[in-house]
Amino acid sequence: MALASTAVGTRRRRRGALAPAMLLVPTGVVLLAIIGWPLIQLIIISFQEYGRAQVFGRPPEWVGLQNYIDVLGDPFFWDVLGRSVLFAAANVVLTMVIGTLVALLMMRLHRFFRLLVSVGLLLAWAMPALTAVVVWGWMFDTQYGVINYVLSLLPGVDLIGHSWLIEPLSFFAVATIIITWQSVPFVAFTVYAGLTQVPDEVLEAAQLDGAGAVSRFRLIVFPYLKSIFLVVTILQVIWDLRVFTQIYALQGIGGIREQTSTIGVYIFQTSLGTGDFGAGGAIAVILVIVMMTISLYYVKKSIQEETL
Amino acid sequence: MRKLSIVALGAAAAVALAGCAAEAPEAETGAEIRVWLVGTDTPQEARDYLVETFEAENPGNTLVIEEQAWGGLVDKLTTSLSGSDSPDVVEVGNTQAAAFTSAGAFLDLTADYEALGGDDLLPGFVEAGSYDGAFYAAPYYSGARVVFYDTAMYDDLGLSVPTTLEEFVANGQAIAEANDGVSGIYFPGQDWYNALPYIWENGGEIATFENGEWVPGFSSPESIAGLEMVQEVMTTASVAPKDGNEAEAQVPYCNGEIGQLSAPSWFKWSILAPEDAEAPGCPDKEATLGVFALPGLDGGPAQVFAGGSNIAVSANSAHPELAKSALAILLSEEYQSILGGAGLVPALVSLGDTIGTDATAQAISAAASNAKLTPASPAWAEVEAAGVLQDFFVQIAQGGDVAQLAADVDARIADILN
Repeated sequence: MALASTAVGTRRRRRGALAPAMLLVPTGVVLLAIIGWPLIQLIIISFQEYGRAQVFGRPPEWVGLQNYIDVLGDPFFWDVLGRSVLFAAANVVLTMVIGTLVALLMMRLHRFFRLLVSVGLLLAWAMPALTAVVVWGWMFDTQYGVINYVLSLLPGVDLIGHSWLIEPLSFFAVATIIITWQSVPFVAFTVYAGLTQVPDEVLEAAQLDGAGAVSRFRLIVFPYLKSIFLVVTILQVIWDLRVFTQIYALQGIGGIREQTSTIGVYIFQTSLGTGDFGAGGAIAVILVIVMMTISLYYVKKSIQEETL
Repeated sequence: MRKLSIVALGAAAAVALAGCAAEAPEAETGAEIRVWLVGTDTPQEARDYLVETFEAENPGNTLVIEEQAWGGLVDKLTTSLSGSDSPDVVEVGNTQAAAFTSAGAFLDLTADYEALGGDDLLPGFVEAGSYDGAFYAAPYYSGARVVFYDTAMYDDLGLSVPTTLEEFVANGQAIAEANDGVSGIYFPGQDWYNALPYIWENGGEIATFENGEWVPGFSSPESIAGLEMVQEVMTTASVAPKDGNEAEAQVPYCNGEIGQLSAPSWFKWSILAPEDAEAPGCPDKEATLGVFALPGLDGGPAQVFAGGSNIAVSANSAHPELAKSALAILLSEEYQSILGGAGLVPALVSLGDTIGTDATAQAISAAASNAKLTPASPAWAEVEAAGVLQDFFVQIAQGGDVAQLAADVDARIADILN
C-alpha cells in the first residue's frame, strides 16, 4: 500500500504537486479557525481581568501575569492538580490493563462469543457519558440504589442508606468504575486489532522453544504492539486528565464538590461558576502546557526509537 | 490552463466544504420570540395563555417557551445571553438576578417600569432586579417555603401542629424515632435553603455589609447555635441522603418515608401529580397532606428563605420590542392571577388574594410575611454557582465540627463576595 502510493506520487509530482496542497487548504483554514482561534482567545483572556461584565461587552483590563500568580499561589489549585494526576494515573493503568486483557480474551474466543463481547463493548462505548453517569448514579443511589439493596442481601451487611459519594475516595472509586467501563472498549478494540497482526509463526516458534504465556506477551506481542500501546496510552492520559462530564454530573448527584473537583471541573467552576474567566483561562493554559509536555515526551521518545 | 485547474480544484474543495456548513435559506415568516422559563413551577395553563395571547396580539409572530433547569442556570445564562443566539425573555432566580443586572446582560426597563406595574410590583424583587438606579429585571413571582406534613403520622403519635421551631424539631424527632426508615424532617445535606431559618431565627446572618465590605456571619455565636440545631435535625430526625439534594422529594414522600418537609408552596402539586405523569406523585395521599408555616423560635412564622424569580429581556435580543410585549403579558393581571391560583405569590401586590384562602394559602401568606433574602451582592450568585453552601451543609450533615466548618465557609464566602 505504502509502496503503491509513493510510486503514484513520483509519477504525478511533475504534473501537479500543488494539487494535494490546494485540496488541504480549506480544511487547514477551518481547523485553524476552530482550534487555533479559541486557543489564542484563551491565552489572551488568561492575561486579562475577565469577568461576567466583560462577557457582556465591557472592555477587559490587562493584568499581566497576575492570574497565573494567583492560581499558582493558591494551595487549592495544587490539591486539585495532584488529585487529577493521581486519578488519571489510576484510570489509565486500570483501563490499559483491563482493555488489554479483554483483547487477549477476544483472541481466544470462538466467533459467536467474540461477537457477543464486541457488541457489549460497543454498547458501553456508544453510551453518552452523561447518560452513563445518570444510570450508574441510580445504581449507586443512597436511598433506592440496586447496589445497596443487593449488597445488603448478604448476611451481616447493612448498606441501606449508605452514601457512596460522600467520602472522596469512595466518590473517585465510583467515578473510576464509570470512566473505566466506558474507556475499556476503545483500548480493547485497538489492541485486538493490533493482536491480529502479530504473526502466528513467531508465537508458535516461541512456544516450541518453551516460552510461557507471560514471556510470549512480554517479549513478542508487546514489542510488536509498542506503538499502539504508546498512542492509546497518550490518548487515555489526555482524556482522563481533562475528564469533565462524569465528575461534574456525579457531583450533582452527591459528594462534596470542594473535595472531589478534578482540573477540568475546576476550570469550569472558576470560569462559569465564579465568573472569573481570567483565572479559569490561566488554569486551562497551564493544563494545556502539562498535557503538551506529556505528549511531546512520548512523541519524541517514539520518534527516537523509530530512527534507531 | 494548468494553473487554472489548480485554482478550480481549490475553489471546488472550498465550495464543497462550505456546502456542508451552509444553512437552508431563511423563510421569513415573522419573528420567533424565545422565552426561557425555569423549572416546572409555571403551570401549563399560564404557558398556554402566554403563547395564545402573544400570538393574538402580534399576528405573524410566534412565541416558544423553552423550559430550563434550575441546576447550572447561572452558567447557562452567562453563555447563552452573551451569544448572538440569545433567548429573548429569561426567568432568573431572584438571588441570581444581580449577577446579570450588574454585568449588563439585561435590557434597561426603567422607562417601562410604570407600564409593567410600577409600585404595585413586589418591592423586594424590584430591588433585586435593579442596579445602579436602573430597572432591569421585573418580579415574576415569589414563593414562600411552607411545611408539608403527613397528618396520619401526626395522629398516630398524638402530635399537634407546632407553634415554635423547637416543637417542630421535637415532632420530627418523635416521628423518626417511632418509624424506622422515616424522616421526621426530611433534610438532605445539599438543601441549604431550608437550613437558613435555623440560623436567622437564632439571630445569625449569612453575611452583612459593613464599612464597604461583606462580612460573612456563619461563625458568629448566634449562627453557630443555629447550625448546631441544623446538625441535630439532620442527624437525629432525617434519614435523607447526607449528600443528596432536595429535588424529587415527592418520591420518598409518596413512599411514606417523610413525616414533615419544608418546601416551596408549589411542591404540593409535585406530591399530588397524577400517577401517570412524567414525574408521578400520589394523589391518593391528598387526605393526609397537611400544611403549616414553619414556626419561629419565639412563635409566629419563622424567617424563611424568600424564593422566587425575576424576569428580564436579554440585552442581545434580536426583537426587543416584541420581547417587551411578551414581558407585559407575563406581568398582566390575567397571567399573574393564574400564577396566584397555582399557589405562587403574584408579582403584583394587588393580586395577593388570588392565592385563595385554604390552608395552603394561609400558610403561604404567613410564611411570606416574614421571608428573607440572601445577601444583596452581585457576587452572591457565584457563591451559589460554586456550590459553597451545598458543600458546607453536606459536611454538617456528615457530623463535622460546626465551628471549624463555619470558619472555613466564612473564609470562602468573604473571598467571593469581596
